[in-house]
Amino acid sequence: MFKHILESAGNINWMAISALITFAVIFMVSVVLVFKHNPAYIDRMASMPLDDSYPVNSENDNHEK
Amino acid sequence: MAQVERFSYDNAIVRKFAYATIIFGVVGILVGLIAALQLVFPTLNLGIPYTTFGRIRPLHTNAAIFAFVGNGIFMGVYYSLQRLLKTRMFSKGLSEFHFWGWQAIILAAAITLPLGITSAKEYAELEWPIDLAIAAVWVAFGINMFGTILKRREQHLYVAIWFYIATWVTVTVLHIGNNLELPVHLWKSYPVFAGVQDALIQWWYGHNAVAFFLTTPYLGLMYYYLPKAANRPVYSYKLSIIHFWALIFIYIWAGPHHLLYTSLPDWAQSLGTVFSVMLIAPSWGGMLNGLLTLRGAWDRVRQDPILKFMVVAVTAYGMSTFEGPMLSIKSVNAISHYTDWTIGHVHIGTLGWNGFLTFGILYWLIPRLFNTKLHSLKLANAHFWIGTLGILFYAIPLYWAGWTQSLMWKQFTPDGFLQYGNFLETVTQIIPMYGLRALGGTLYVAGYFVMVYNLIKTIQAGSFIGDEAAEAPPASTWAAHHGKEHWHRWIERRPVQMLIAATIAILIGGMVEIFPMAMIDDQVPRIESVTPYTPLELEGRDIYIREGCLGCHSQMVRPFRSETERYGEYSKSGEFIYDRPFLWGSKRTGPDLHRVGGKYPHSWHYNHMYEPQSTSPGSIMPPYPWLLRDELNTSNTAAKIRALQTLGTPYPEGYDQIAVEDLQKQAKIVADNLRKDGIDDDKLEEKEIIAVIAYLQRLGTDIKPKPQAGN
Ligand code: HEC
Repeated sequence: MFKHILESAGNINWMAISALITFAVIFMVSVVLVFKHNPAYIDRMASMPLDDSYPVNSENDNHEK
Repeated sequence: MAQVERFSYDNAIVRKFAYATIIFGVVGILVGLIAALQLVFPTLNLGIPYTTFGRIRPLHTNAAIFAFVGNGIFMGVYYSLQRLLKTRMFSKGLSEFHFWGWQAIILAAAITLPLGITSAKEYAELEWPIDLAIAAVWVAFGINMFGTILKRREQHLYVAIWFYIATWVTVTVLHIGNNLELPVHLWKSYPVFAGVQDALIQWWYGHNAVAFFLTTPYLGLMYYYLPKAANRPVYSYKLSIIHFWALIFIYIWAGPHHLLYTSLPDWAQSLGTVFSVMLIAPSWGGMLNGLLTLRGAWDRVRQDPILKFMVVAVTAYGMSTFEGPMLSIKSVNAISHYTDWTIGHVHIGTLGWNGFLTFGILYWLIPRLFNTKLHSLKLANAHFWIGTLGILFYAIPLYWAGWTQSLMWKQFTPDGFLQYGNFLETVTQIIPMYGLRALGGTLYVAGYFVMVYNLIKTIQAGSFIGDEAAEAPPASTWAAHHGKEHWHRWIERRPVQMLIAATIAILIGGMVEIFPMAMIDDQVPRIESVTPYTPLELEGRDIYIREGCLGCHSQMVRPFRSETERYGEYSKSGEFIYDRPFLWGSKRTGPDLHRVGGKYPHSWHYNHMYEPQSTSPGSIMPPYPWLLRDELNTSNTAAKIRALQTLGTPYPEGYDQIAVEDLQKQAKIVADNLRKDGIDDDKLEEKEIIAVIAYLQRLGTDIKPKPQAGN
C-alpha cells in the first residue's frame, strides 16, 4: 500500500516540498518558543556555565595573565 | 530555602578520558603522518600487508574520529554534564564500563584494521562483533547520561546538554542503520543493502558521522567551555536554541552531497544539495554566537592561549561549514570530488575545529582537575602558533593539489583528446604538494608534543582532586516555582520530550531519502546483462576490500566527457545491484577502476600488483607481493555464497556446493592465460592474485559490447 503510494507519486518533487514545509514549521515553532521565553530565564540560561558553586573555580576563572 | 545538599563531582572519570584523548591524539596524527608520507615515498609501505596505505588510512580516520575526538567528547561531557546538572554522574559502574569498553573497542580496531578486517564502509569499517560492542558501550553511555539528567538538581537543561542528547540519539540511529549486515563468519559480513542503496545509506551515515560525532557534541562543548574560558555568558541564548533545532533538522538530509553525479537518482542528489546549502544558516549562526560570546574580551584573546585556540577552532568551524555547502553545489563538486580538495576540507574541520577546541579544553581543564595553574603559558602559545602553521601547511598545498589535478583530468587538447591521457602524470605533478602536506602534519604533531610536555609538567605540579565538593539546592525545591505541577513529573518530562523531539527531527530526513530508495525497485533499473560475481571474482573482490584499494580507487565513472574519454561508458545504477558492499570510493589517488576490465592483459596486472613501478614508472601505488605468494583461502566461499543468497543474490539453488569447483575452473583459465605470457609459478592457480585479476577483469564489463572480430 505504502509502496504503491510512493510509486504512484512519479516524480518525487512532493518530497522536496514537504521537506521544506516541515523545515519551515520546525523553524517557526522554535522561533516562537524562543521568543515566548521570558528574559530572566534567558539570562539565567545564558550564564549557566559560569554558575559553579565551588570556590576553587571562581577564583581560577580569572585567567592568570 | 537555605536548604542545600552537599555532594561531589566525579573527576576521576574525566581524568581518564582526558588521558585517553591525549594519547590517542598522538596515535591518530602519527598514523596519518605515515599515510601522508607513503604518498610521497611509497617504500614506506614497508612491503608488508599490515602497513600499506589502504589499511593504514582507515586506521588513521578511525583513530582520529573515534579515539581522539571520541574520548575528547566523553571527557568534555562527563565534566560539564555534572556541573550543568549540579549532580554526580548517575553510575560509577557505567562510567567505568563506558571508559574501558571504549578503549577496548579502540584496541580491537587497532588490531583488526591492519589485519584487513573491514566492512569497507568509510568511518564504519569495523566488523560486526565490534559493531555490537560499540552498541553496548554506547547504550551504557546513554543510560549513564539520562540517569544523570533524571537525578539532576538543576531544573533546566542548558543548551549544551541538548546537543549531547541529539548526539546520542542520532549516533544510535546511524550506527544501527549503516551496520545492518549479515555475518558470514566472525570477521566477515555482507551488508543488507547493495549497490546504490548501500551507497545512499553509507553516505547518509558518513555525512552524519561528521555531523553528529565531530560537530554536534563539539558544539555542546563550545557552548560550555567557551563561556567558561572567556568568563562571559553566551552571546545569545535565543540564537543557540534556534541554532540547535535548525542544525539537527537540516543536517540529516545532506548526505547525498557525497554522491553527486553518481548513479544515485537525481531527486536524491537534489535534496542533498538543497539542504547542504541551507546548512550555512544554522552553522554560521552557531559560529557567530561563539565568536560574539567574546565581545569585549578581545584584549584577553590576545594574551590567553586557551581563548586563541578556541577562536581559531570556531573560525575553522565557520570556514568548513561555508566550504561544505559550496562543495555540495553540483558544478563545484564536479571539480572537487575525488580530489585532495576534499581531504583539505575535512582537515580544516578536524585539525582546526576538533583539534584546537580539544586543545583549548585540555589547557583549561587539566589545571582545574589538578588544582594548579598551567605550567607554561609561553609553551601553550608556542603550541598555538606551531599548530596554526601546521594547519596552513597542511591545507593550502592540498587545495592546490586538488585544483591542479582536477583541471588536468579535465584538460583537452584542441583536437579533442585528453591532454593528460596518462593518469599517472596528474599524480606525479602534485607529489611536491603531498610533501608539503606531510610537513604541515609534522608541524602539527610537533605542536602536539609541546602540549603533552606542558600538561605533564602541570599534572606533576598539582594534586588531583578526584571528588570535587559541591553544593546545590535539591530538586525538591523546584516545586516552589511550579506550584501547578508536581515536581517529579516536571523533571521527567522535559528531557524525555527533548529526546523524542530530537529523534523525530532527525528521522524525518533519513526516512524521506532512504525509504523510497530502499523500497521501490524501480529506483534501480535492472540491466539484463548484469549477473552476479563468480566465486573467484567474489573472492578477488573481498581481497580488494581487505587491502583497502578503495582508499585510492573509485569505481564510479561520472557522466562527463573528460571521464568517459578516460575510462569509458559512465556508470549505471543497474550495474551495482550485486555489489555488497558498494565500492564507489571517495578519492582518486589512482584512476577509476570501474571500467578497467579488459583494459590490460592478465599479465599486466600480475606485474603491476607485484611492483607497480615496473609497469607504471613513478607510480605511488604500494606493491602487493604477498598476493602473488599467498594461497587463496576458499574455506569460506560456500558460506559467502549462502549469505549472499539469503540477501537475494540469485545464485542457483545448491550453488554453494559447487562454488569452489567453479572457482578452481576459472582460476585455471586465468593461470593458463598468464602462463602463455611467460609467467609461471608453483601452484599459480591457487594464489590470491588470480582472484584479484579475475575481479579486476570483470569490472564494468557487464554492459560492454563483446569484442568483435575486426574491431
Ligand atoms: C596509495 C594509493 C593506491 C592504493 C592503495 C592502490 N592503488 Fe592502484 N593505483 C594507484 C595509482 C597512483 C595508480 C596509477 C599508476 C599505476 O598504474 O600504478 C594505480 C593504478 C592501478 C591500476 C591500473 C588502472 C589503469 O586504468 O591503468 C589498477 C588495476 C590498480 N591500481 C589496482 C589496485 C588494486 C587492486 C589495489 C588494492 C590491492 C590498489 N590498486 C591499491 C594508487 C593506489
